[in-house]
Amino acid sequence: MSQRPSTAERLDRALDALLSGQRAAASAAAFDATLRPMVSLGADVRAALPMPPVAPRFEARLGTRLAEMAEPRDPLAWARRHPGRLIVTGAVGSAAVGVGITAFAVWRSGRRATTPAHRLLQR
Amino acid sequence: MTRATAASPVPVGDPDIADVRAAQIDRAAFGALYRRYVERVYGYCFYLLGDHHDAEDATERTFLAALGAIDRFRDEGATFRAWLFRIAHNELANSLRQRTRRRTIALDAYAEPMTAADPASLLEVADDAHRLRHAVSQLSTERRQVIVLRFVDGLSAREIGAVLGRSDGAVRVLQHRALRDLAEILDSHP
Repeated sequence: MSQRPSTAERLDRALDALLSGQRAAASAAAFDATLRPMVSLGADVRAALPMPPVAPRFEARLGTRLAEMAEPRDPLAWARRHPGRLIVTGAVGSAAVGVGITAFAVWRSGRRATTPAHRLLQR
Repeated sequence: MTRATAASPVPVGDPDIADVRAAQIDRAAFGALYRRYVERVYGYCFYLLGDHHDAEDATERTFLAALGAIDRFRDEGATFRAWLFRIAHNELANSLRQRTRRRTIALDAYAEPMTAADPASLLEVADDAHRLRHAVSQLSTERRQVIVLRFVDGLSAREIGAVLGRSDGAVRVLQHRALRDLAEILDSHP
């Protein structure tokens, strides 16, 4: 035995038809007297709530922001934008490595001069 | 790209899936989805928040979040638009929570452009629309969400269920009660 659809289900079907532009089908679907005013009210609500216009400036601004966000990340983009800074960064980095190596060499040679084996050879 | 009109027919399957797949491969393709849905998402936010600036903020947050999470969208029952409106719904919930008082002015203040016709009948139509918008603004937030998602954005009961985290049956009942409440409000303020 098939169950009769509930009022809410029958109303939903009628509104589906209404929203699909099948007003006649919606009227037919709302066959009982209790649903007809509700479907009619649904049509009125649809007419009374038009899509509010989006401000063109807002739409364009958000579109640009999304497009920027969608761009693949380029690791060299920063270097391309600021080539001068890249040279300075390279020079400072090289100098730091040079200073580090020199400091290590000085420390190492000083340490070697004080080891017991070195002192034995000196005798 | 044509923009979807209000309350389009209920889709069979997901009409956006090809564009979603394209956006998952190349995020630049998200632009097509943005252009298709910006007006609808904005409409949903506007009718719930009742303020153009707040609606713009919520719309912006929705699309930024959607683009950030597009890789995680899976075609598992819910359509892309239901997924997108779910994000908008969460953004709206945050905005509404932050509010200290409920604004209902802007819904009434929104007036659609009139076409050339008999001025007296136009006034009558505008007055009826104003009364209806006022009545919609009197509904509880959840019932108002159902009305806006159904009649402004054209989502099916199933899609609204995915947005609100309710079953199809619960949404149909909410829709029925919302229309019944509207009728009562209109009857009490003729």
